Amino acid sequence: MDVKYINPFIEAFLSVMPQLGFEKVEKTNLSLKDCNLTYTGVIMTVGIVGEIKGNVVYYLDLNSAKKVASTMMMGMPVDEFNEMAQSAISELANMLTANAATFFSNIGITVDISTPTLLYGDQVSVKMNSNQILCIQLLADDIPIDINIAFS
Amino acid sequence: MAGTKVVIVDDSPFSIAFIKGILVRNGLEVVGEAGTLEEVKQVIKETKPQLVTMDMTLPGTDGLECTRAIHEIDRNIKVIVISSMMDDEIVKEAKENKVSAYVQKPIDEEELMTAVNRVMSSEELFRFLSSEYIKIFKEALLDGTNKLTKSLIQYKDEHICSQEFQSEGLAVIVGIIGKFSGRMLIDVKMETAYKLTASIMKREASGIDEVLAVLGEFTNIVSGNACSIINRMNKAYGLRVAPPTIMHGESIHITAPAYTTTNILADSDFGEILLNIGFQRGDDQWM
Repeated sequence: MDVKYINPFIEAFLSVMPQLGFEKVEKTNLSLKDCNLTYTGVIMTVGIVGEIKGNVVYYLDLNSAKKVASTMMMGMPVDEFNEMAQSAISELANMLTANAATFFSNIGITVDISTPTLLYGDQVSVKMNSNQILCIQLLADDIPIDINIAFS
Repeated sequence: MAGTKVVIVDDSPFSIAFIKGILVRNGLEVVGEAGTLEEVKQVIKETKPQLVTMDMTLPGTDGLECTRAIHEIDRNIKVIVISSMMDDEIVKEAKENKVSAYVQKPIDEEELMTAVNRVMSSEELFRFLSSEYIKIFKEALLDGTNKLTKSLIQYKDEHICSQEFQSEGLAVIVGIIGKFSGRMLIDVKMETAYKLTASIMKREASGIDEVLAVLGEFTNIVSGNACSIINRMNKAYGLRVAPPTIMHGESIHITAPAYTTTNILADSDFGEILLNIGFQRGDDQWM
């Protein structure tokens, strides 16, 4: 998979997170994974079609998801991962992917995105549509967020 | 578009008469007028329009406050701003307040009617999709199962899904993109997935990887077929499906998105199959 497909997602993260109230955003790691991921926490998947086709899977552990939702809601305490928190995190996936789509269009690649589907659970195995998945690990105010990208 | 009920919000009698003239000539029905926030609330409640034309500068209020008040009464009412002021900042604010289109004064009849047609045709397309998609996806699942396994499925329950639900073990998610975006999801027990795979492959499944691959392709076929049928009904839908993402595990909660989805439950020779589908109204009609 071409590395130029990664930058729009990193740029989106670096530009969206500060707008949501996060002060420190950074990329910590980039790795190539095989097709099976297992996660305990919150997972969001967003479909992409257009000149390139695939999926993005975002992951945060449950506590991180609550912290991010709280920051997005101006510091309102989030004790439970309830509908309000789910809606905020879902919107985060939507904003990040929509912004990435804009960065893609800036480099001449037109893509459209689907609505996000949010799931949570323990030991959830995730199979994406490609055997090679690029995983970007990022931090927003020290909260880790994984972005997995698979283009077929 | 003919017969669409419209309310005109403006504080200038000249503008009201002018806009009314255009709308009536084009077959729309002007059911009310308002010039203040209070009048807006009252007229909207009484006349229940599908469309509102909105001036930006109004005594004691502004077009955006009135738009919010309208959407508090009924968020499905479309608002087109008609204002002499138009700059990036105000257009951005209008978008944020769920305005569907922005037309600058002095009003050009053709420009206004193009905006009205776009906004209202989007509404009609969504209404049609909402009334048809369940039937079409059910047919596609029935047909896909039948062609691949030579067996039939029986639908036994169908309800609006507004809460999260727990996966039976394996969930295949397909994002749908087009005029309206959404998702389709198939959820089954792992045991069902194995049986379905064996039936399709006409032999025992070789392992979990094969089961995931078969279920992924099965879901892809069902969603692709259903979206093709919808596109053939009206190519304006332009629906496309993203590749499937497959999740499996013993404790997976699938949350309800911000839009309505429908859960449809079917009995098959392999066990229950849950189909979940929904489309977002979307506001891609900005112009």
